[in-house]
Amino acid sequence: MNGKLIASSSPHIRSGETISSIMRDVVIALLPATLAGVYFFRLRAVMVIFFAVLSAMITEAVIQKIRKQDVTLNDWSAVVTGLLLALNIPAAAPWWMPIVGSVFAIAVVKQMFGGLGNNFMNPALAARAMLLASWPVQMTTWLAPVGHTVTTTATPSVMASVGDAVTTATPLAIISGGEGAGNILPTLTDLFIGNIGGCIGETSALALIIGGIYLVYRGVITPRIPVIYIATVAVLTFGFGGFDPYFMTYQIFAGGLMLGAIYMATDYASSPVTPRGQIIFALGCGIITSIIRLYGGYPEGVSYAILLMNVASPLIDKYTGPRVFGEVK
Amino acid sequence: MREILKLGGILLLICAVAALALAFTNELTRDQIDYQRNLASEKARKNILPDAESFEAMDEDRLNEIVEGNNRVAEIYVGYKGDSIIGYTIKSLSPGYGGTLEVMTGIDIDGKIRGVRIGNHQETPGLGANVALPFFYNQYENKSVDTDLEVTKTDATEDNQIQAISGATITSDAVTSGVNIASNTFKKIMDK
Amino acid sequence: MNLFKNLTNGLFKENPIFFQLLGMCPTLAVTTSAINGMGMGLASTAVLVCSNAVISLLRKVVPSKIRIPIFIVVIATFVTIVGMTMEAYMSTLFNALGLFIPLIVVNCLILARAESYASKNGVVGSLFDGIGMGIGFTWALIVLGAVRELFGTGSVFGIDILGASFEPALIMILPPGAFLALGILLAINNVIKSKSA
Repeated sequence: MNGKLIASSSPHIRSGETISSIMRDVVIALLPATLAGVYFFRLRAVMVIFFAVLSAMITEAVIQKIRKQDVTLNDWSAVVTGLLLALNIPAAAPWWMPIVGSVFAIAVVKQMFGGLGNNFMNPALAARAMLLASWPVQMTTWLAPVGHTVTTTATPSVMASVGDAVTTATPLAIISGGEGAGNILPTLTDLFIGNIGGCIGETSALALIIGGIYLVYRGVITPRIPVIYIATVAVLTFGFGGFDPYFMTYQIFAGGLMLGAIYMATDYASSPVTPRGQIIFALGCGIITSIIRLYGGYPEGVSYAILLMNVASPLIDKYTGPRVFGEVK
Repeated sequence: MREILKLGGILLLICAVAALALAFTNELTRDQIDYQRNLASEKARKNILPDAESFEAMDEDRLNEIVEGNNRVAEIYVGYKGDSIIGYTIKSLSPGYGGTLEVMTGIDIDGKIRGVRIGNHQETPGLGANVALPFFYNQYENKSVDTDLEVTKTDATEDNQIQAISGATITSDAVTSGVNIASNTFKKIMDK
Repeated sequence: MNLFKNLTNGLFKENPIFFQLLGMCPTLAVTTSAINGMGMGLASTAVLVCSNAVISLLRKVVPSKIRIPIFIVVIATFVTIVGMTMEAYMSTLFNALGLFIPLIVVNCLILARAESYASKNGVVGSLFDGIGMGIGFTWALIVLGAVRELFGTGSVFGIDILGASFEPALIMILPPGAFLALGILLAINNVIKSKSA
């Protein structure tokens, strides 16, 4: 008799989601942004992405061998981390930077704290913060998108290291004065499509939003965190930026806000579990980002905001966790 | 009661011995320490006003006259060669990226900046802290005090321009404004 | 009482930094270069040896109730003496270590050795214990300082090792780098200890 019946415990209905299917969806969602980055920044972007993903995968395999665990490269999580890291680095980065970043993200932030699902911070973002603290000049030198004519703010020595490519300032740097002052502001269309200076994946708001919609459609993320995060930044930059809608729209589409809100703040392991917790998380991210951008010394505040809220997530979970049935308060 | 007296007494004795040891060491090292401190300051002043043979702190009343309550000027020394004054060294305080910077400027009697050095600061190592390196502070040599110096991010084309360190504009600005404070103080000295 | 054991304890098995995890504050703050680490280590060792000896000499006289204030007075006196001597005769090192010389007083390593060993054992033993712990502290500081200096500036003890094409990772000479380097060194030491056990 074929068709043996197997007795097992619940659950008996499965959704078909596996770790690798979720991760693959994230990679697919990131494809538009990746392709946009490659289109605008050409070969250097391809190099950065390639090295980041490759070293992430190799590091994961090596560490898992050392820890005497099964090598789970086929769950695609290392690929996602490597890709996200690459999208957070300027295309002008030297070849070794994505390698160091990936090794740090996988070995230190992810594996040393317990591996998949146990990371207390977003690995790609933590690695980016480490790279920024270690090599501030290289991490803040951006290529101008191909075909862009804009003035450069880089000194001759930095220009020499990026070869023939022209460097530029990001829109946020220009608008906040300081480093980027004196450059021409890109138009809103340029900003939306991505024809601006910035890290590989953060320039094209359009591509990122397309990916985000795909992720919501596939059920990988809920719109809760991204929408509330971006809305908070919009409200705060509108209110405290002089009630200027142009300034507010700029702040939303420029910098790493789209990339961070849709792909990094929604990382399962480092954000709260409950809906209420996620709302608080998103609000916190938005408030901190706005404060850093408006009043702080840096033009960009997304990475630090998300990392700080990551660290606060366990606390948020503690106070917004559901009551156990029958629990006495 | 007796116990408290006994405890107190032992503590007193030990502290007295400790105090004695410290006083003794202080006597032994005091002159040497003073010498070291003076040496460091003298060396610093010599760096920025090389032709001077000796320095004297500007007399208190005159200092108050010149400074007029501006708390950005920390000290002024007069540089002598023989008996004649050949210049001044002025220490000014300027707000930088991580805190206040001490800027030492040496200006000779003709109104030319002979040297600039950075003292205590809390700027970022590898970035803003590089203003304390020769490649940056040598830019100020031979500049005139006539016009205020300004910072530019590209190559310095005018005489009164200083090129900022890439990625450390705030610190570069702070040093330049410290030098400008010194220049203006110098002009006040020459006017009075 | 094995005097030799006193010496070697501090060097590895009960190394103040890698296994007792004492004196973390100066460890993390001062090890921005190998020479700074060495200077701090030697200054602390000087204080540790002297204070251990004196406290051991006084151990029969010190009443238990006021022993902590007395230990602190002794330690603080020696720190001040060492500080004054350094300012007079080794001013470059003094300026490099700066604020952390007075902080040697609250380096819990010194107070811990006073409390757990010197106040209960003879002078010679305490001396050797102080020397052993001090040298252990010093070599650990030198290692940490050298690692941070190597990756943060490309040189060790001021000697350029990695050459001009090396882009130093600034983070290593900043506080986060201290924690990273220390964490990894602690892990390595634990591996060595468990392998030899």
